[in-house]
Amino acid sequence: MARERVSQADEWQSWAQRYDIEGGIRTFESGLTVKVFFGALFVGLLMMPGSIYLSYVSGQSGAAAAPWVAVILFTELARRSFTTARRQELYMLLSLTGAAVGSGMQYRNFIWYAYFVNTPQAISYEIADKIPAWVVPAGDSAGVMTRSLLHPDWLLPIGIYLISKLLGTLRFVSGQYILFRLTADLERLPYPMAPISAQGATALAETTGKQETWRWQVFSIGSMAGLIWGFIYIGVPALTGVMMSEPIQILKIPWIDFTQSIEGFAPTGVFALRTDFGQMLFGFVLPFPVVMSEFVTALLSQFVLNPQILYRNEILHQWTSGLDVRAVGLFNDLDFYRSYGMGKNFSLGLVGLAASLPMLFKLRSSKKKAGERGSLATPPNRGDFPLWLMGILWLIGMGGFVWLIHWMVPNFPLSFLLGFAFLYTPINSYITARTFGVLGRDLFEIPYLHEITFILSRYEEIDIWFAPLPDEDYGAGTQGWRVLELTGTTFTSNLAATLLIMPILIVSGIVVQHFIWQIAPIPSAQYPFVQMMWPINATNECLMKTSLRDGNSEIIQAIRGDYVAAGFTSSLAIYGLLWVFKYPSMWFYGIIGGIGADPGSMVARLLGAIIGRFYMIKRFGLKRWFMFNPVLAAGFACGVGLVGMGTVAVALVSKAVIVKPF
Amino acid sequence: MEKLASFIIFIGTGLWLVSVLFLGGRWQWQMLAALILTIGIFLAHFWEELSEEKKNTPKDE
Repeated sequence: MARERVSQADEWQSWAQRYDIEGGIRTFESGLTVKVFFGALFVGLLMMPGSIYLSYVSGQSGAAAAPWVAVILFTELARRSFTTARRQELYMLLSLTGAAVGSGMQYRNFIWYAYFVNTPQAISYEIADKIPAWVVPAGDSAGVMTRSLLHPDWLLPIGIYLISKLLGTLRFVSGQYILFRLTADLERLPYPMAPISAQGATALAETTGKQETWRWQVFSIGSMAGLIWGFIYIGVPALTGVMMSEPIQILKIPWIDFTQSIEGFAPTGVFALRTDFGQMLFGFVLPFPVVMSEFVTALLSQFVLNPQILYRNEILHQWTSGLDVRAVGLFNDLDFYRSYGMGKNFSLGLVGLAASLPMLFKLRSSKKKAGERGSLATPPNRGDFPLWLMGILWLIGMGGFVWLIHWMVPNFPLSFLLGFAFLYTPINSYITARTFGVLGRDLFEIPYLHEITFILSRYEEIDIWFAPLPDEDYGAGTQGWRVLELTGTTFTSNLAATLLIMPILIVSGIVVQHFIWQIAPIPSAQYPFVQMMWPINATNECLMKTSLRDGNSEIIQAIRGDYVAAGFTSSLAIYGLLWVFKYPSMWFYGIIGGIGADPGSMVARLLGAIIGRFYMIKRFGLKRWFMFNPVLAAGFACGVGLVGMGTVAVALVSKAVIVKPF
Repeated sequence: MEKLASFIIFIGTGLWLVSVLFLGGRWQWQMLAALILTIGIFLAHFWEELSEEKKNTPKDE
């Protein structure tokens, strides 16, 4: 029987509708209220010093669970005050608290370079005296010696940082918004991971109302599962690590490596079973064709393509017997997949253009309504901005940023900066936005991009290594706009909240970092994690920043044009053939994601997808299951986050009071 | 138009296979195949959008 052609328009539209569990019908309200603003500020600023301190002491900031703690606290307060909390408010609280807790980390680089400038490594590699004044004051300056970020010596580095931050906000808000309109409004890409954040806030908001619906029940089930799993996977090793020299791992973290077991019949193949079965929840959420095709392709890559074709033809030539998953993966990557992956990823951009250009051409004559594919019309009251205004803001932000970098490194060729800013960044961001729209994750990355640029520019001064480059990616951020849409939060309220909280966080972040630095030198015995890691990081940074000295261009030689072309062309051929034989274009993204990947890392996701597809949908029905699973995943993330934070705190307290005999 | 797009995609895929199997995988041949495939894919999507428009336009009785 002949397969019926389903146009890509219909395919994406139906997936987008599945993930929009309220059928696209919603009212938009502002999430910014006085209580939300001060609530986020209070919890955020309370947790920020602890999070910075923990990151220096243990390497883990514990910031991921903080927003959930704030939301749970907020809903409990609301219940006890007999008021209700709207989901828009709770989502805003989640994002503002996250921003507040993380704000102190933005100044971490100043502390790092204040340390780095005086390290023996920086001196012996002849870097110390060449670090520009806009990065850190001189090693013997009062600002560094007295450990004071409030000293006038820091005016230039902090001033440059603040100008970059302002221009960055302009670029990121406008760039993300434009891409969101293209991918979510025009193309109707489903953004499968967005409902997780949206439904978490919605479920918790319902607990403060008079009637609790299924959401709270499902969220609680997810949270309990997360608590149990988190205890097994994170809690037991963390707690036993306090008492024993070798922590107990009920399931080996992060994987059980079968690579050496399969090398007899599949040399150069990798298979390491990832033990984080929390991934099953993501398998519930992600589109089944993507998960399935990704797994099958990964399996074929590791058991057929690698050993039977690439190894036999000596393309994968560095492999030797007895290597583990990391070594085989590294060698395969260097031999072939790094180059192949570059080409493969470029094809994603081209395929995206091919799908969206015809729609853009048709826009003028189209009479479509908001919510239909191929329409840029916006839903009423969403708080949208004119696209031309966002375009101008982006141009101002990017133009200013390029000018700033040119001022910082005046001898670096301007053409490279302009190429990054106005060619690479839009293409890179668009590709990422599309992969987030379909897969919920980033796929596109060009390895050694900065190194390649520096070689091609023939610029030999060390200052360029310290300057920011305008190679940005706004794609991941488009998902946040989709979450705002799903929660019914007006875009204007989100922008207002961001702009309002920014100056407060800029000042508070710098003051807190200053005080933590005043407690003791960083690194020192007070901060054991950085004391152990920063000297190694300093050596690595010196090696990296001097890697291109004397015209050394080994990195560029590792990238082969014929393999890049193979990745690009084979991906286009796969896409074209799927279209010719009328298969869903979802498969393309799964296949592309699976080529060269480790199938063992996908087993949990696959299990989740199979259980969802063949049991849960039959049990609950398609519509109800797609309503349940993002809420379940949100609850699970909350449960795991809370366990993680709790056990790390217990472990830290214990480590602080137990005196070890060495 | 659908058949033309399919034909071009087949030609591009065939050329890529030939370039890899018999022409030593030289990037110039592969990129020529990529160009042909790109034309085929763009044609396919333009046809899809046009046919969708036709499908949605009510016929005059």
